[in-house]
Amino acid sequence: MNFLRKKFMEYYSNPSIEFPARFDRREYAFILFGEGGMRRHISFLSRDDLLSYLRKNSPAHVYYSSAYYRHPDAGTMREKEWMGADLIFDLDADHIPNAIQMSYEEMLLEVKKELEKLLSFLMEDFGFEKRHIRLYFSGGRGYHCHVSHPDVIPLGSQERREIVDYVTARGLNFKGIVKEKSIPKEYFSDKTLEINPKRGGWSGRIARGIIEFLREVKKMEREKAIKKLMELDGIGEKTASSLYDFLTEERIRRIEDGKIDQSTEFKRIAIPLIKKLSVSMQSSTDEPVTGDIKRLIRLPGSLHGKTGLRVTNVDVDNLHEFNPLRDAVVFGENGIKVVVEKPLSIEMMENKFKIERGVREVPEYLAVFLVARGFATA
Amino acid sequence: MFFKWFPFNFVELSTMARYPFISAAKEWVKNEKATIEEILFDDIYERARGRGAERVMQAVIAGFIKDIPLLSEIDCVMEIFSYPVARMIVVASGSEYVIRRYALAEAKRAYENLKNESINFIEKMADEFGMRINGNRMYFVDYLRYAPTWDIKWKLVNRELKKGEVVLEKHEIARLLQEAIRKKIYNELTYMYPPPEIKKVFGDVIDEIKSRVSFREKENKIEEVDARLFPPCIKNLVSATKSGMNVPHVGRFTLVTFLNAVGMSVEEILKIFSSSPDFNAEKTRYQIEHITGKISGTNYTPPKCDTIRTWGLCFPDDICRRVKHPLSYYRLKRRRK
Repeated sequence: MNFLRKKFMEYYSNPSIEFPARFDRREYAFILFGEGGMRRHISFLSRDDLLSYLRKNSPAHVYYSSAYYRHPDAGTMREKEWMGADLIFDLDADHIPNAIQMSYEEMLLEVKKELEKLLSFLMEDFGFEKRHIRLYFSGGRGYHCHVSHPDVIPLGSQERREIVDYVTARGLNFKGIVKEKSIPKEYFSDKTLEINPKRGGWSGRIARGIIEFLREVKKMEREKAIKKLMELDGIGEKTASSLYDFLTEERIRRIEDGKIDQSTEFKRIAIPLIKKLSVSMQSSTDEPVTGDIKRLIRLPGSLHGKTGLRVTNVDVDNLHEFNPLRDAVVFGENGIKVVVEKPLSIEMMENKFKIERGVREVPEYLAVFLVARGFATA
Repeated sequence: MFFKWFPFNFVELSTMARYPFISAAKEWVKNEKATIEEILFDDIYERARGRGAERVMQAVIAGFIKDIPLLSEIDCVMEIFSYPVARMIVVASGSEYVIRRYALAEAKRAYENLKNESINFIEKMADEFGMRINGNRMYFVDYLRYAPTWDIKWKLVNRELKKGEVVLEKHEIARLLQEAIRKKIYNELTYMYPPPEIKKVFGDVIDEIKSRVSFREKENKIEEVDARLFPPCIKNLVSATKSGMNVPHVGRFTLVTFLNAVGMSVEEILKIFSSSPDFNAEKTRYQIEHITGKISGTNYTPPKCDTIRTWGLCFPDDICRRVKHPLSYYRLKRRRK
């Protein structure tokens, strides 16, 4: 029998599954080892039924529907009869710029930063409380954020889309939310941007972002500061140095009071800033997204067939300390021989490994990870 | 729990006359104990019947119901009674179009009045419709339910949102209430049956309305649309929508404006959207009618190729290189045919 499947079977003989709310209203789906397609439209009346399915099949991937239905096992959407859905955000390394050049650990750290931004939007702007938010490491290349407040469950896909657009700043109308004012001076008029860091929503976020950025630039030496400014789109050396010289302590105070003179140059700072402040997540049109009211999501407590790591709950307060390569590992330490095909350096269970090509004996947890990721064969 | 049911306690007659759809007005009419027979035949209600017919005619013809002076108590009473009369006429017309148009006209009239009311009054009205507001701030879930977010200024991302509440101007809350009122009236009328006597009294009015409506429906007939001539972006959107995929807002907007511009009727456009998993005929129709200017007064044109490209919806072919607008593509191909 296939090594991975055997290991998964061991895990599924006594797994720690977190069953979703409205358990029997969900559709479940599985991808089995050695099978191409997905087995869909399955429902379970009891938790034991699901557990025995897992024991019997030890699937490579386990999913359940974010939606709940009157007839979860029906074959078409119409027959299923949609009743509501959790709001789910899928943050994946695919949406992080330059993810290809990163190691697995670096990638996950970057996604975590996006997750932290998302949490700030959900709690500060949308006013959700911690008890309505659950975070999961996906087992693969990212994190999932589930919001199950009773008021969001009936939301349709357009309303969900609005929430995604909000956190990703899609459709943000800069001119509409940061007001530009003309101030008449003797023979000409000057333009001022009005910002208010105390405001809610994007206008406040942009204001705080600008102030923080300028404070940071102001602290730097002239040369460094100019370099930093030039990193922004559309700012050349001339503009950068004039901007820097413009930033006297008094001017910064004036900006903190909400008035930015020389608005044209500052708009150039603000617009790239929006990208930095927003959450990078799925936004292209052909992927299943949060706006989708009928998507499938990995079952918490199941294993990810491409890593052998467990889909693991992350405490909102402990997000910072969470380490997927320690906290989502389920296999033991026993030495197992594998044939390594691609060399790899990785830190797992707080041990550093530098693995070369060839036959190697490694702890079971690492063996599973290497085989699942395609770095080795058993 | 009397107070829970009546957010407007001890409501004045003039308030009920201006907002005859509120539950307090309904309750007041019930307490008057007038029978349908009396309302339809008794001389006392002559004025209410006249005004009821006027409400419907104005709604159908102009899309708007004009206020009348409410100087005395009897003016108010007649105005209140004219509302149930108008509803019976609308339902008796048997036309879905009339129901929609009437519901919108009543809602617009309410908006015109509401935007001049005190914030305190608006809060009570919001309460009546289950909208959670707190001064000039509205719970974002209720905001999303009623805001026309296809319009960039109503998009949530362009709003001040703090701790779950959207900061709004008074007239904006009134605008969202308009939508709540329209929905409420529309839903009530869809499930209402007309009393059989109504045709005896209002036969002429109903016939007149029907003839107006059929005239309007004829106006919309146009030449055959050839979907094979659509540019690839639109073809993609059509097939994505038909297969029930989740098409983003801007995509839906592009699709509806395009199909409208090449001459598809609202009915035909609606058919394309009907396979969406969360398809809601009434809501979709409202949005289509809004975008195509049937009810908003603004007939939006489809976005330029540049814009479509920015949205990531552009999948160009050879002909695309020669045009800057999806409609030019269609016209170019049509000429070649």
